[in-house]
Amino acid sequence: MRRLSPQRAALAEGWPVLATVVVVGIPFGIVARQAGLAPVEIVAMSVFVFAGASQFAMVQLFRDGAAWPVVVATVLLINLRHLLMAAALRPYFERLSVARRLAAAYVLTDEAFAMAISWFRRGRTELAYYATFAVALYVCWNAATLVGLLAGPSIGEPRRLGVDFAITATFIAIVVLGVRRRSDALVAIAAALIASGLAYAGASVVAVVTAGALAPLLVTFGRERTAP
Amino acid sequence: MIWLAIAGSAVVTYAVRAFAFRVALPRSLPAGLARYLDALPAAIIAALAGPAVLVPGGTFTRGPEAAAAIVVIAVVAWRRNLLAGVLSGVATVALLRLVLAA
Repeated sequence: MRRLSPQRAALAEGWPVLATVVVVGIPFGIVARQAGLAPVEIVAMSVFVFAGASQFAMVQLFRDGAAWPVVVATVLLINLRHLLMAAALRPYFERLSVARRLAAAYVLTDEAFAMAISWFRRGRTELAYYATFAVALYVCWNAATLVGLLAGPSIGEPRRLGVDFAITATFIAIVVLGVRRRSDALVAIAAALIASGLAYAGASVVAVVTAGALAPLLVTFGRERTAP
Repeated sequence: MIWLAIAGSAVVTYAVRAFAFRVALPRSLPAGLARYLDALPAAIIAALAGPAVLVPGGTFTRGPEAAAAIVVIAVVAWRRNLLAGVLSGVATVALLRLVLAA
């Protein structure tokens, strides 16, 4: 069997992930538009922030009237995980110039991380695999955002079609896929319940930050366990 | 206000991504801190989903959202497929809202 070039391999192996990105990106455009954001603001989020879960959280917070420091703090907490991912990728990128490394960082996503790590674990070292997939994902996400925001006004009442639930379902699916042990499920359930309680009490603006920061404490001080 | 939030979010998101690409983190973090950071993403994402399922719009769910959440959990746990989970969840919510509204 002929070996695919890294670029072709990235697209051949990555297309199902890219398709999912499109399916999630279109609802983002729709939901953001229907939350009253201007098209230029929505495009700016996908171009400059480029972080799916964060962007949905931002729309929700804008709708709740959160002040900008709360929005930024929430986004920071959501994206802290990239610290660990970038640290794991760093050895493979060491031979690149600083400028190229900083460019690689701009398109780092959960998906690009997972694809790149699986590539490196096969003993391959070409960084073109990461670059191709990560840039393709960037293009897909921004194109899907555009389609969604253009389609938004013609969808009509989004609740009737369940469009507003697309992001919630995505969040639930991401959490379920990430559960490796019982404590993972415990933390997720605790976070969901704390956030719901705060939202019900009228504190929906700080619900996500507070619940997200508190729930992991459940496993922080537990018994020593072997690291994953 | 919205532009400050977008600019601030863009800066912190990129700062996190760039920091670890540029600076070496200590090989081993304290075990507790490592566990905290490991659990943080799922906790945040669950905190985003929880209120939309249990108290959508600030009042207790009338059923569709909770039922759809169970469907999503079941489908994803069974098929390990994000897309199948999202589509089944949206379909469940749309259908149940239609039934309840009738």
